[in-house]
Amino acid sequence: MVQINFAQKTVNVKIVYYGPGMSGKTTNLEVVHQRAPSTNRGELTSISTDGDRTLFFDYMPLDLGTVAGMRTCFQVYTVPGQVYYNSTRKLVLQGVDGVIFVADSSASMLDQNIESLRNLEENLNEYGKSLSSIPHVMQWNKRDLPDAMSVEELERHLNHHRAASFEAIANTGQGVFPTLKAMAAVVLKGIMQEAGGPKATSGTAIRPVAGSARPAGAPSPRPAIPRDAPAVEPAFHPAAAPVPAERTPLSVAAQAAPAAPAARPAVRTIAATAPAAAAPSSPAAVMRTVPKLTPVQRSDPRPHKMPVAGSPRRSRPAAAPAPVAAPRRRGNGVFTGMFVLLAAGAGALLAWVVLSVL
Amino acid sequence: MSRDDQLRNQRIVYYEQDIARLGTELDAFLELSKARCTLLVDRDGHLVTRRGEPMKTSEEAISALIAGSFAATREMARLLGETEFSILFHQGKRDSIQLQMIGERTLMATLFDGRTNLGMVRFYAQEAAVRISKVFAEIASEERVGNLQEDFEARAADALDKLF
Repeated sequence: MVQINFAQKTVNVKIVYYGPGMSGKTTNLEVVHQRAPSTNRGELTSISTDGDRTLFFDYMPLDLGTVAGMRTCFQVYTVPGQVYYNSTRKLVLQGVDGVIFVADSSASMLDQNIESLRNLEENLNEYGKSLSSIPHVMQWNKRDLPDAMSVEELERHLNHHRAASFEAIANTGQGVFPTLKAMAAVVLKGIMQEAGGPKATSGTAIRPVAGSARPAGAPSPRPAIPRDAPAVEPAFHPAAAPVPAERTPLSVAAQAAPAAPAARPAVRTIAATAPAAAAPSSPAAVMRTVPKLTPVQRSDPRPHKMPVAGSPRRSRPAAAPAPVAAPRRRGNGVFTGMFVLLAAGAGALLAWVVLSVL
Repeated sequence: MSRDDQLRNQRIVYYEQDIARLGTELDAFLELSKARCTLLVDRDGHLVTRRGEPMKTSEEAISALIAGSFAATREMARLLGETEFSILFHQGKRDSIQLQMIGERTLMATLFDGRTNLGMVRFYAQEAAVRISKVFAEIASEERVGNLQEDFEARAADALDKLF
């Protein structure tokens, strides 16, 4: 759930890519990592198998920059899609603020899409949420497949809450950013509805508003993604636009899709131990981190180097808020130390008595 | 879970005085335990605050992994019939890390090296956890007014347009 930290002037939002296995969730995140400005993206951390299948989650912070004095950051996760990883999938959903459901458009994947959507609803229910109340957008991925279902069929089978939907070919980058942008817009709108204005109190959660996932923009026909030309990013699907009176200021602008991405980026293996929970066929698990080109730009950058020998220990980072003038609580430590010394003395005395008797 | 409990568990707004109080407790803990640094991480993976030496790597990524690690362990505990494993310890060649649950929704991660030992860290972390959990309980019990600037949404829209 959204964390607003007025001391560090940060707003943190958790967004999760969900969907069946091999539907393109990690590809979406990799495209975002490759094409987002280096000043806005953090490291892409992936806990995956040797075969590049997500084992626990992929994670990347995406920094929106300082908005109205608050550094706004999206913590973007993916989940493992395979059915047998449901327990880890559920864990990643904890505290989620928005869900991007990545569906495989292939007709042969319809059952897996439906099962994954049902599983998403179940897992959300375990956290007291549901698709009807949490912001979500749908992405119809792999539109370039020859057996891709029509958008209307996908809408009918999967988009029960009439959420915003986007066509995409994630491995070429088409549709990736509009999907994420729409998700971000809906979530930020929800933040303002809950936290904005003088009447908001901190006693309640900054929860997404029911139905807020529905785009507020006027209906506009969604153009199909051309196969051989830079795609103009589609607007919200007509079926997902219920013609509301107001128009959100966070509407998605048309945007040309960037060029096709290269293969998966080089990764740095951090660990290589296969978990017992992995399927027998799963190879060794690795956590790979794609190093960012430049550090995420902070409004108040913190030092990243360890202090040299001899420097004062625990030098306070620049971004850490200065404590108030309240005195440190040393008393408890002194009493504890005295207690330990007394106990040790008593123990030694007891041992001496016992040894003397023996 | 009652409505009140639910609201308390969902509180996610921190103010300067909250972080200052938490920072005071963490500084005292670091001074006693001689640990390198300590982080308070929300159960959802968001960093609340940190004290001590700066870290060489992304604190956001570390926070996400800490939350994921603890969540996985809690699920393991549930499968084994335990309520939870409230303390985790990862030992490295040079640095080690102890993770400890504080209250219902916060994790305290303490990074330490050869200048101290696990016993010291665990002993003082237990004390600190009690004090910090009281701070969180007080934070959760207070009703305070706070809000983002009214133009947050419009500026966020501009920032999104620039980013994408």
